[in-house]
Amino acid sequence: MQAEMTSKERVLNLLSRQSVDRMPCFSGMGCVTVAGMEKLGIKFSQVHFDGEKMAALAATTPEMYGFDSAVVPFDVGVEAELLGAKLNPYEDSEELLYPTLRDKVARTADDLKIPTDLTRQGRVPVVTEAIGLLRERFGDKVAVGTYVLGPFTLAGQAMDLNDVLKMSAKDPAGISRILDILSDLVIQLAHVYKEAGADYITVREMGASTGMVSPRTFANVVKPHLTRVLNSVPRPVVLHICGKTNSIIRHMAECGADALSVDHKNDVAVTRAEIGDEPVLLGNLDGYNVLVFGSKESVRQAVKECIDSGISAVWPGCDIWPTASPENMAALVEAVREYGGVRKA
Amino acid sequence: MASEEVKKEILDDLKRAVIEFDEDLAREASNRALAEGVDAYEAIMDGLAAGMEVVGQLFEDQEYFVPEVLMSADALYAGLDILKPHISQDDARKVKGQVVLGVVQGDVHDIGKNLVKMMFEIAGFTVHDLGVDVPLDKFVEEQLRTDSDILCLSAMMTTTMMGMKPVIEAVKAKNPKVKVLVGGAPLTSEVAAKLGADGYSDNANNAVLEAIRMVSSLRQL
Repeated sequence: MQAEMTSKERVLNLLSRQSVDRMPCFSGMGCVTVAGMEKLGIKFSQVHFDGEKMAALAATTPEMYGFDSAVVPFDVGVEAELLGAKLNPYEDSEELLYPTLRDKVARTADDLKIPTDLTRQGRVPVVTEAIGLLRERFGDKVAVGTYVLGPFTLAGQAMDLNDVLKMSAKDPAGISRILDILSDLVIQLAHVYKEAGADYITVREMGASTGMVSPRTFANVVKPHLTRVLNSVPRPVVLHICGKTNSIIRHMAECGADALSVDHKNDVAVTRAEIGDEPVLLGNLDGYNVLVFGSKESVRQAVKECIDSGISAVWPGCDIWPTASPENMAALVEAVREYGGVRKA
Repeated sequence: MASEEVKKEILDDLKRAVIEFDEDLAREASNRALAEGVDAYEAIMDGLAAGMEVVGQLFEDQEYFVPEVLMSADALYAGLDILKPHISQDDARKVKGQVVLGVVQGDVHDIGKNLVKMMFEIAGFTVHDLGVDVPLDKFVEEQLRTDSDILCLSAMMTTTMMGMKPVIEAVKAKNPKVKVLVGGAPLTSEVAAKLGADGYSDNANNAVLEAIRMVSSLRQL
């Protein structure tokens, strides 16, 4: 009898459209739990600046629940910090909060200063240390994932979002220059992460969702830069955009990613009708309403619906909210195993 | 005093300026309104605000997106800056009241909140904008300090929305009469009720519509 694939093989094969023994259960974004934090005796606010703690927490997800992946970091502030922003981890808050960024760092393209050697800047060393530790801990067994922001989303963080949005409508040359600079940063960062040992990278461009800009703006302003990014970073690479993405899914499919990631607001059956069965499509589990507030049965039902609608592999459509119960996380893994079946290339 | 025709022309220009995000036209028409003796409050409500109502609908219909709404808001403010000082202070139609407004802690998305603020300002409310990432204590403190009629809470992420509940509880414990409106993408009427809110709107788009509806009903006062 043939040996079962390792988690890493399963994930990488799926992302490169090769055959897998069964559907992997993994994520490309934050998927750590409070249960994991309690097991380690650490607070969420402590992990963002500490490579060892970051790796230890990421490792709890495959170890406690059987996920096929471990993903770092957990926040979306690394790139903006490289441009000079400060991260607020909410150390003093009693409630668990994801870190946010304080202050805008640029008003114009000229204000955007990209450091030369990223490996030593900001929290890059923390993330690369965490990736390295996960690599050591799991060898070739578990897939180690990481992510970078898309240039448009990063622009909205680094600069006044109102300005970025208005520029996207009024000043295409101006916004293009900004996106060019930021694309360079994101591409470099992806290479640094790959060097550190990451197996797959997700590019998160939620700022360009249809809740913000029109499909036309997506096509004209964002897509050219996203395409450059996706074709310049190490593969396999996933493009993630949340929200109502049906009206831009065809554009997304043309950007050059190895896989697309969507959330529960995307109608996957309609997406499949548009882009066909070939592209690798990841999603679209509601990592908040289902994993946090759902029962085990509703988790199973949601997984089944994702699979029935045509997803290539079930993954949460955003960062998991950490209060997701261990029972639900286990139910997710189990449901994917039960319904995921044997996949063909 | 302007003739009915001239007034209509001016109001149409104001409305069109907002819909077409034409700041120059907004300024021109506002100045003309003053020159022609059109009542400033009427010019704001039946010209600028009426234009914003149309913009809200275009956003709902997914013809306008956030950039267009922002540009329309800029045109509206261009006109409002000129007209607002000319509203007579004791104008009975002008809604007076205080609103405390802010985005809950952990959340930095403020576009929806800013649009709601604008509509309240048009209606004549005094808005105390606490900005983004506002801790619970700050909301309570500000509501008590201002004795505001309305507290508006905004959250654009499901994860920060839960932070509204303790804020609402704390504020109402101190001042049971205050009306709490909540808004942001993840809200639903069910969730709003569970959080203890008196009203809600479910995304930046509906925040504008809800605010416009509030303004419309105020316009009918």
